Amino acid sequence: MACAIKEKEIKEKVAEICKEFNNDPKELIAILHKSQNHFGFLPKEVQTAIAETIHIPASKVYGVITFYSYFTMEPKGKYPISICMGTACYVKGAEKVLKEFEKQLEIKNGQTTPDGKFSMNTLRCIGACGLAPVIMIGEKVYGSVKPEEVAKIIKEYE
Amino acid sequence: MKSKQIKIALRNCGHIDPEDLSDYIARDGYKALSTTLSGSRETVVQTIIKSGLRGRGGGGFPTGKKWELAAAVKGDKKYVICNADEGDPGAFMDRSVLEGDPHSVLEAMAVCGYAIGADEGYIYIRAEYPLAIKRLKIAMAQAKEAGLLGQNILGTGFNFEIGLKYGAGAFVCGEETALIKSMEGNRGEPIMKPPYPAQKGFMGKPTNVNNVETFANIPAIINKGADWFASIGTEGSKGTKVFALAGKVKNVGLVEVPMGTTLRELIFDIGGGIVGGKKFKAAQTGGPSGGCLTEKHLDTPIDYESLKAAGSMMGSGGLIVMDEDNCMPAVAQFYLDFTVEESCGKCVPCREGNKVLYQILNKITHGNGTLEDLKKLKDLSEIIKSTSLCGLGQTAPNPVLSTLNNFYDEYYEHVVEKKCRAKVCRALIKYIIIPDKCVGCGACKRACPAEAISGEIKQKHLIDQDKCIKCGACYQKCKFNAIIIE
Amino acid sequence: MKQLKNFGEFESLRQELKVKEAENEKKVRIYIAMATCSIASGSAKVLEYFKEEMPKQPVEFVIKPTGCLGLCHSEPTVEVVLPGSGPVVFGKVDTKRAKLIIDEYIKNGKLIDGVIEEN
Ligand SMILES: Cc1cc2nc3c(=O)[nH]c(=O)nc-3n(C[C@H](O)[C@H](O)[C@H](O)COP(=O)(O)O)c2cc1C
Ligand code: SF4
Ligand code: SF4
Ligand code: FES
Repeated sequence: MACAIKEKEIKEKVAEICKEFNNDPKELIAILHKSQNHFGFLPKEVQTAIAETIHIPASKVYGVITFYSYFTMEPKGKYPISICMGTACYVKGAEKVLKEFEKQLEIKNGQTTPDGKFSMNTLRCIGACGLAPVIMIGEKVYGSVKPEEVAKIIKEYE
Repeated sequence: MKSKQIKIALRNCGHIDPEDLSDYIARDGYKALSTTLSGSRETVVQTIIKSGLRGRGGGGFPTGKKWELAAAVKGDKKYVICNADEGDPGAFMDRSVLEGDPHSVLEAMAVCGYAIGADEGYIYIRAEYPLAIKRLKIAMAQAKEAGLLGQNILGTGFNFEIGLKYGAGAFVCGEETALIKSMEGNRGEPIMKPPYPAQKGFMGKPTNVNNVETFANIPAIINKGADWFASIGTEGSKGTKVFALAGKVKNVGLVEVPMGTTLRELIFDIGGGIVGGKKFKAAQTGGPSGGCLTEKHLDTPIDYESLKAAGSMMGSGGLIVMDEDNCMPAVAQFYLDFTVEESCGKCVPCREGNKVLYQILNKITHGNGTLEDLKKLKDLSEIIKSTSLCGLGQTAPNPVLSTLNNFYDEYYEHVVEKKCRAKVCRALIKYIIIPDKCVGCGACKRACPAEAISGEIKQKHLIDQDKCIKCGACYQKCKFNAIIIE
Repeated sequence: MKQLKNFGEFESLRQELKVKEAENEKKVRIYIAMATCSIASGSAKVLEYFKEEMPKQPVEFVIKPTGCLGLCHSEPTVEVVLPGSGPVVFGKVDTKRAKLIIDEYIKNGKLIDGVIEEN
């Protein structure tokens, strides 16, 4: 029963979002952005709801989601950690920072800690290359991060 | 060292409040649009042609020519698109313009709309730029309220509406045909040109696509004149270029210099040289599509042609400086990792070929490469370049070719001597304790996760190379500089 | 802003704003970079500080949040223009340095360390 209610909620919210964009299939990417903002990620239920509402095959929705790295089908941790692997950050040693996070959190890039607290992903340049290497936790940007500082940064969220 | 810079595209950045239209107007904002609307369509196009402005998004196609083509196509509906996808990782020129001077782009798009006969424009912007998006939205609302965008602009009967479309983290969407596909709600896969967007673009209608920085130059050209603009720069490349200096350079940041400025002026005069007094090794321009410039290119005047001749390209303006601590085969591998991930997968050479290039580079940086592999890298690169559909595939092997050409000795050391002189490739380095310097404190032994270090307290310690996993933990812990990397 | 209906209205607004801008030149002008990298380095606090402290000073002033000057290496940056003198850009400004800028430069015209030569 609980599940059915959730499904109904999803359908209603999706319908609301799609309507904002006139149920126009050409606005699929905007709809996905808005849905991900709301649900945090794009699980199968959301995908089918979108497909049904704007009358396109679910495979098309899936195809678009998998094409763009911004969209995710996995729930993120409470504190999503994004590590910039853009060129400026790479040249300034972002890989070492990434390795350190993996070591400290005992997860690999792309995974979420078992307690759902932290998730890790990499992204390409957030345009703050002047502060390379750069990481983001949620909306907060950390610049000039050194591997030695990683433990301290994680502590801020414990 | 004053005034090597000339600010045209960045003329207002840092000097106006981007969220206040009055500030922009007080600095001649929307004057170019007003001038344009009181003249003929042909006049604008001719002004831009005469200025010699070329596209700043990478290709360097003459902007005026592009507008002329789009203007000549018959059609009741046309579109203007501003490419703000800024996919080159390590470049942030466009972000800076949009955050600091959003109106200049809006104004230029309206000018372009008038020139080619379009009444609708879109800005395709990366979702990773929330602040730029916010400021654009504010600017669009203000311009509309003031009657400088929207219906019947300044009472002339000219209409121009602008909307936003968001990218979603796919590098290939910066390519114009892929960008249009993406705007239509599809996977952003490039298609064959022709037909060019000017003939058949967004929604199948004639479309003119320009980059953010290209647009930002337009109002200045119209206000100050084509001759003024053409007097700056080199024979074939007029005006200025904004570069995002990043990497191992002291003054990381954005600079706008006349075309024809040398790499030396950029890195050493304006950029303040290399961090920590290290030795300059290379500078990558053109991002993952470009190549590296080396010491011998330091005094070459930079423009579209000279960069191409040097095996690189202008690209969008990212300029990543590398020093002796960067390993060139590893850098090539980094770029290939990027292109492999970003290839849309449509063409086999790009999808599979680049993967193979990556694997060979991986072999080399892990100490398993052979001389044969170097030849394979070169041959395969040429094939991928000549058989891929879009610019991504056609340029993806450039970082490999250019590092091979300029740093062959480094590749040679990796495959023959099994050495990485920059001490980046883990498989090729060794951590060694110098007995003379070791005081036997035991810090390294405690830090080593692999139990590779032996020795009693106050005795010389030793690293067992077979057990060492090269994590560097001991190196970080030793306070006596007794551990070196070889 | 009210709707501009023709070239004439636009031109007179332009002139009006130019006059206003010229009047501003008689005041102390403070430009605070507020781009992504500036904000990541803490410029929002600096902007707030100036907004709070400047009204207490015996000078006429304007404070403007702007885009960046491209000086990522020295963010947050603040540009100060005293009436009749050229612009001076201060780098790595925090509230402590902001106080120095007000006390030394704005009130007494004395430069402090960390001025960036724009080239
Ligand atoms: C793989 C690839 C990525 C590109 N990325 C961008 C980009 O991020 N921004 C951009 O303005 N142009 C990019 N371009 C170039 C565009 O296709 C197009 O040429 C440009 O937007 C035209 O504008 P311009 O003439 O003003 O430079 C890219 C091209 C390719 C092949
Ligand atoms: S060259 Fe690569 S990115 Fe371009 S269309 Fe072909 S597969 Fe896609
Ligand atoms: S940390 Fe340094 S000094 Fe101490 S035992 Fe290890 S090598 Fe010797
Ligand atoms: S490369 Fe990391 S912020 Fe640009």
